[in-house]
Amino acid sequence: MAIAERPAETVSLPRVNVRPGWAGWLSTTDHKRIGIMYLVSAFVFFLIGGIEALLMRIQLGTPDNTFLTPDVYNQMFTMHGTTMIFLGLMPLNVGLGNYMVPLMIGARDMAFPRLNALSIWLFIFGGLMLYVSFFVGGAPNVGWFAYAPLTQKQFSPTAGVDYWIVGIGLTGVASIAGALNFIVTILNMRAPGMTLNRMPLFVWMQLIVAFILIFAFPVLTVATIQLLFDRHFGTRFFLPNLGGDAVLWQHLFWFFGHPEVYILILPTMGIISEVLPTFSRKPIFGYAFVAYSGVAIGFLGFLVWAHHMFAVGLGPLANAFFGAASFLIAVPTGVKIFNWLATMWQGSLNLTTSMLYAISFIGMFVIGGISGITLASPPINVQQTDSYYVVAHMHYVLFGGAIQGIFAGIFYWFPKMTGRMLDERLGKWQFWLMLISFNLTFFPMHLSGNAGMPRRIYTYEADMGWGLWNLISTIGSLLLAVAFLIFLWNVLTSLRRGPIAPADPWDGATLEWAVSSPPPVYNFAVTPRVRSRRPLWDEKYPHLVNGSHEAPTARPRSPLHDGFEREIPAVMEPIHLPSPTYAPLIVSVGITILGFGIIYLGDFGLIAASAMLVGLLIMAAGIFSWVRISHIDSPHHAHHGV
Amino acid sequence: MNRKYLGYLFEIAWILPSVAVPIAFMVAIVITAFAVGIAVPGDAGRVDPKALSTTAPFDQPGLRELAPGRYEAVVIAQLFNFSPGEIEIPAGSKVTFIVTSRDVIHGYKIEKSPINMMVIPGQISRMTTTFDTPGEYYIYCHEYCGAGHHLMVGKLIVTPAKTASTNR
Repeated sequence: MAIAERPAETVSLPRVNVRPGWAGWLSTTDHKRIGIMYLVSAFVFFLIGGIEALLMRIQLGTPDNTFLTPDVYNQMFTMHGTTMIFLGLMPLNVGLGNYMVPLMIGARDMAFPRLNALSIWLFIFGGLMLYVSFFVGGAPNVGWFAYAPLTQKQFSPTAGVDYWIVGIGLTGVASIAGALNFIVTILNMRAPGMTLNRMPLFVWMQLIVAFILIFAFPVLTVATIQLLFDRHFGTRFFLPNLGGDAVLWQHLFWFFGHPEVYILILPTMGIISEVLPTFSRKPIFGYAFVAYSGVAIGFLGFLVWAHHMFAVGLGPLANAFFGAASFLIAVPTGVKIFNWLATMWQGSLNLTTSMLYAISFIGMFVIGGISGITLASPPINVQQTDSYYVVAHMHYVLFGGAIQGIFAGIFYWFPKMTGRMLDERLGKWQFWLMLISFNLTFFPMHLSGNAGMPRRIYTYEADMGWGLWNLISTIGSLLLAVAFLIFLWNVLTSLRRGPIAPADPWDGATLEWAVSSPPPVYNFAVTPRVRSRRPLWDEKYPHLVNGSHEAPTARPRSPLHDGFEREIPAVMEPIHLPSPTYAPLIVSVGITILGFGIIYLGDFGLIAASAMLVGLLIMAAGIFSWVRISHIDSPHHAHHGV
Repeated sequence: MNRKYLGYLFEIAWILPSVAVPIAFMVAIVITAFAVGIAVPGDAGRVDPKALSTTAPFDQPGLRELAPGRYEAVVIAQLFNFSPGEIEIPAGSKVTFIVTSRDVIHGYKIEKSPINMMVIPGQISRMTTTFDTPGEYYIYCHEYCGAGHHLMVGKLIVTPAKTASTNR
């Protein structure tokens, strides 16, 4: 596309200073490489979480089964929930955002590339730390919600809960740093002409999610630190028999935990807001409504946390408030759904795998949304609390919604990220198998839940009458695994032999399709100028701008929304890219060693304290090298321009 | 009828059901709360979980008949059973459940009834309902409470009413 490559000979392209091989990945500050590292590592964790789910499904497939022991089963569902949320869905969204947001807004990198590298390393180390717990006495087995006081040392003596606290803490720091990075990048580094109201909707949703994260995640971090002190250092925040309050944990946890659901789902709503218009060959219907209903969801998401706690006995006033607020969230969500439908209405649909996933997202998410509205009603909720009905609802939202949205995004952007096309035929096999087996797995859970089956039980007796639904769910989950194997096969073969991807395989409207596939390290040789919400369609189809179907005689001029602006002369500034550096990796290693020290500080004081000291020293060394490299890299530094 | 007007009707046809659905849900809440009598559990006071054996009414857990057909069941949930684990009442009885926990958070859910409470150490949960249909009902702990969570099952037995149930 002309936007990027036009005057290449007139600017000095950067001396690309990438180290070869593994060193290039360990020292990278390139948002694209970091995005790929997020996607790959999150997908590995996602597969592990899936295997944990399969083990649980095998255990529950028949009554009175003893495939797993109760303790292993409890570790499995704790790690499944924790993994899927913190190490799977969230970082998959972050990975897509990390890769695409700078490209979509016409920037060369994230605002803080080294902080970005710190985020990916802390995320990977935090995830690995959680999994180390399997080998040192047992993984956490208190549920991903970790209700007090079961998490206290008296009831959970292994270090599993401590690993959970510190592992989640590390990924939390990574997420908060990442969110700050997204906010600054999106607010400050948009290409000239790209006003907030011209940003792609995926960027909008990432911006909203970053703000949600900043307000929600610190609450979890603080609560887990309180828990750590309860377990080891004699405080009693959540200890009811010493005057603490077990319900306080639930408030703190869900004040984070409910916005977290929107952290998982909003980016995928952004993805399908990109995919649907591209493959309907129509602009998004009601752009402003889609964008601002995302803001409304983000705001309302903070007012509904106690709908997880209707069975606690908070009293009628609190229950009524949180029930009503939960109903309200359905309004902006419904607005989005209708806008997506209207986008497809009378479009010329191109049913690629990506588009199929986006359409299926709408259908499955609506099912999950409707069971969500019934759950928002306190009297109904009290009947369903902690039954499999909730499991069904939650998986329709997070699998039928988030996972399918992420697959829509992966099939959409894989050519851009790798330079190869995924196989569409395998993709469609995967899609249909996944859609059918997903429903086979999770739909019967509505029924077993209504028949009274509680969540998180290791096994059940045959005469309880839940056997048939559980057997169907288990068969469905095994088929789901096949769908994921097809995807893995597709990725591995396409990376080697897939057709070479052109720059713009889908005839997209946003800036990432203006650069080659995969994009050059510097993204854009010349910062693009943006005149509407669909900069690339403007360029490719100038005669369609402003709804005119006639070939243009002169360039239309209209300063209004979606119109043209006066030509801005291109400024040929030199391209400035951050140098590769190991500093963020070193800092993360230091923080991780510090974390191991914290875990064992209560039990092995001296050894743990020395480990903490070593960790702090490594961290200090990392920070020192960080400061040095950022000084060298600064644009004002004499010899290292370009 | 012109095209624009049709489009307008079409839009109204979407908007009105979207408004009607939440209103219907609200109405359903009001009906369940006032007509059917389904209530959400309420915080019925606090109790020191260390001192259950000396604090009334939890010093004597069990079923008490307050008046003919009117019962009070005082239940302690603990790792991994309910005390009492089995409750037997005649059909048509109105029972108030007063429940607390000795250790971690548990649940108290009686199948096919509105009784479903979180049982929290330090807090008393209370709910009342009437059992009309004779039969055996499982009582589940629905809040995950540790390795024996799946074993934490009690039973409520509703026997056919003592007298021929004419004046229920």
